[in-house]
Amino acid sequence: MRYLRNELLRRRARTLVTLLGLGVGVALVIVLASLSKGLDRAQRKTLDPLAGIGTDLTVTLQPQQSQGGFGFGGGGGNRDLIAANQSVLTDLSKLGKPGQHFSHDFFLPGSQLTFQQSASGQIAKLANVAQVTTGLTLLAEHQQGIVPKIVAKLKTGGQTFRFARNIPRPTAAQFQKMQACFDKLRAQNGGSRNGGQNGGGFFGGGGPGRGAFAKCLPASLRRLRTQFTTPQQTLQQVLNPPQTNIQTTAYTIGGVDQTHADMGVVTKAQVTKGRFLSPAGGREALISTAYAAKQKLKVGSSLQLNGRTFRIVGLVEPPLGGQSADVYLPLKQLQSLAGERNLANVVLVRATGSSKVSAVESEIEKALPGASVASSKQVASKISGSLVDASKLSHDLGLLLSILAAAAAFLLAALLAVSSVGKRVRELGTLKALGWTQRMVVRQVAGESLVQGVLGGLFGVALGVLVAVLIGAFGPTLTASAATGGGISLGGLTSVTTRTATNSVSLSAPVGIAAVAIGFGLALLGGLIAGGAGALRAARLRPADALRQVE
Amino acid sequence: MSLYTLEGVSKFFQRGATTIRALDGAELEIGPGEFVALEGPSGSGKTTLLQLLGALDRPSSGRVLFEGSDLATMSDGALAELRLRSFGFVFQQFNLIPTLTAVENVEAKLAPVSGSGPELRTRALALLEEVDLVDRADHLPAHLSGGEQQRVAIARALSVEPRVVLADEPTGNLDSATGADVVELLANLAAEHGATVIVATHDAELAGRAPRRLAMRDGRLLTTAAV
Repeated sequence: MRYLRNELLRRRARTLVTLLGLGVGVALVIVLASLSKGLDRAQRKTLDPLAGIGTDLTVTLQPQQSQGGFGFGGGGGNRDLIAANQSVLTDLSKLGKPGQHFSHDFFLPGSQLTFQQSASGQIAKLANVAQVTTGLTLLAEHQQGIVPKIVAKLKTGGQTFRFARNIPRPTAAQFQKMQACFDKLRAQNGGSRNGGQNGGGFFGGGGPGRGAFAKCLPASLRRLRTQFTTPQQTLQQVLNPPQTNIQTTAYTIGGVDQTHADMGVVTKAQVTKGRFLSPAGGREALISTAYAAKQKLKVGSSLQLNGRTFRIVGLVEPPLGGQSADVYLPLKQLQSLAGERNLANVVLVRATGSSKVSAVESEIEKALPGASVASSKQVASKISGSLVDASKLSHDLGLLLSILAAAAAFLLAALLAVSSVGKRVRELGTLKALGWTQRMVVRQVAGESLVQGVLGGLFGVALGVLVAVLIGAFGPTLTASAATGGGISLGGLTSVTTRTATNSVSLSAPVGIAAVAIGFGLALLGGLIAGGAGALRAARLRPADALRQVE
Repeated sequence: MSLYTLEGVSKFFQRGATTIRALDGAELEIGPGEFVALEGPSGSGKTTLLQLLGALDRPSSGRVLFEGSDLATMSDGALAELRLRSFGFVFQQFNLIPTLTAVENVEAKLAPVSGSGPELRTRALALLEEVDLVDRADHLPAHLSGGEQQRVAIARALSVEPRVVLADEPTGNLDSATGADVVELLANLAAEHGATVIVATHDAELAGRAPRRLAMRDGRLLTTAAV
C-alpha cells in the first residue's frame, strides 16, 4: 500500500494526466447526460403543446380547395379566405373622412376560418370524447393614423379653343380656277355673273348657294375659322400607395371559455403571475409574458381595444402551437369585439384516455370531413427553432458522444497505464528478482490504476457537476417557434394571415444521481481496464529481460 | 553436496537473423559458502550466467541444478519463492525503487515473507544499521550517494538471510575507494550470514578478493577450479 501511495504521489505528472483524462471523460458523460435531461424537460414543456392546456386534439376549419362536404357548413377555397379577412381590406374607408385621425383594432381569423360555436356539440357526442370546449384565436392589427385618401377625383375638360387664321391671297392660278368653277356653277343654275334671274347675287335665291361656292374655293381657303370646346369629365384614380401615415402593430388575440379553467386555448396552469380570468367573464385580459415585456405591460395595466378598456389580471406562458396568442379575453368579449358573435375557430377535445386519442381523431375526421384535426405530436412537428435542433442533436448524437467520451477516457487511461509499466520495466523486473510473484506485481499495477480510477471518478463527478451548474447559470437561451395562422398563400394576404410565436427556454443541465453513478462507475471501469492492460504487460515481463532494459 | 551444478548450460538470444550465444556449454559446480568471482570483459557471459544461477532466466539448453533441483522445470511461482527466500541480488545500477525510501526499499524485499508493518520496519532498520545507514533510512535513492545506494541494496539482498548472494558488477558504478568498502562489506556480511557469494566483475582487484576465480570469455567458462 505504501508503495502504491508513494508511486501515485511521487510520479505526480503521470498521475495527474491520468486523473485529468479520466476526469474529463467522466465529466463529459455527466454533462451530456444532464444536458440531455435538461433538453428533455424543456422539450416536454414546449414541444408537447397540448398537454398543458388539457387537450388531446384540436379541430379547426382550414380553407379547402374543393367545394362542398364541409361539416361546419361553409364555402371553400380562396373565396373563404378573402371573405373571412376582408375587414382589413375595406374597413379603412369606414373609419372616418379622409384626413381624420383614427385608432382601431382589426381582427382576422387568418386561415383558421370561423364557424358556429354550436358545432362543437357534434364532436361532444362522439364516442370516447370526455370533454369539449371552444376557442377563438384571431390575428389582430392595431392601426392608428390619418384616414387615407384612397381615391382622387379629377375634373377635366370644358375649355373652349378658338382658332383664327389669316388667309393668304389666292394666287392667279387659284383665282382663275375659282372663276372657272363659279362660271360653271352659274351655267348649271342658269344665272349670270352679276346675279340670277331673281336677283340676290351669287348666294341669293336661285343661285348656286354657299355650299357650291365653297367647293370652288381652294383647300387653303376652305377652313378659315373654327371653334371647339373640350368635353367636361370627372376622372377617378386609385392612389397607390394611398396618402396616409398609418402605423400598424400586429399581435394575436385569443378568446377563452373562462368557465373551463383547466381546458382551453390557455388554462390556469399557464398563469405565471396574477390570476386566471374570473368565471364572470368581464372586461379582463391575460397577456403572454413575452408580449408583456415587449409592450411594457404588467398585471393591473389597462388595454384599450376599439374603445373598450380591459384590465390585465394575469400573465401567462402559453404553449407553442396553433392556438397561442399574445392577449386573451373571455370568449364572449372577443366575439363581441371582433363582430364574430357565437363564432369560434377551434374546438379543443379531450379523449377519455390516451389510448383513445387516435380513435377519436378518426371519428372526428369521419364526422366532419372539412375539419382539420391535429394531435399534440402533429402540432409539435410544426415547431422549429434552436430548442428543436438541440433536442434532435441530443437524441441523435447524445448517446454516441457519451460513448465516445467514455471510450476516449478509457483508452487514455489504458495507454497511460501501459506506458507507465513500460517506463518501469527495470523496476518491476527488480521486484521480481526480489522474489515478488507475478500476482503481486500485477496486483500492484492494477491497484495503482484502480486508485487512479477512483480519484479520476471523484474529480470527474466534481467537474461534471460544476459545469452543469455553470450551464444552468450562464447557459444559452434556446428558442422554439411556431407559425400561427397561415395556410393558403394569396398574394399579400399571406403576410397578414401568418405570425410566428416564439418561446424562449433557458438551457439547463440538471444533474441526476443516475448520471453521477454512471459517470463514477465508468471511471472505475476505466481504471480496471487500464489496470488490466498494464498488468497484462507487467505479467509478461521476465525478470532477466526486464533487468536488461536500459531506462 | 554441491549447491549448484551446471550441466552443458547454454543460453542463446535471437536478434533478427542473428543468433547470439551468450553462454555456451557451461559446466560448473559451486559448493555452499563459497566466494566465487566470475571474471571477464563485457559480453563474456558473466551476467547471463549469474541470471541463470539466480533463477532470473531459464537456459536454452542444459540443466541448472540448485540443491539437486532443475531450475528449468520449476514453475514461475516456485522460482519466485526461491528468489524471495534463497537468493539475494546486488546489481551494478543498484536497482533501488526510486519512489521508496531506503528503509522502504529494504521492506519491499521483506514484505512477502513477513507482512506486519512494525515488524517489517524494525527488521529493515536493523539491516540498515548493519550497513551503517540507519540515519539515512528516510531518504529517497535520489538523495543517496552511489555507495550509500549500493549499501542499501546489500542490506536489501541480505534481509531474508539468503543462501546465495549474487552480485552483478557491484562496484561498477562506484569509485575505487567506495568500491573497496562495498566489497569488504559484502564479503564480511556473507561470511557472517554463511551465504554463498557469487560476484560477476571485470575488476581484477575485486576478483582477487575471491578465493575462487572463474574466467569467462565469449560465453565460455575458461577455468572451473579454485585458484
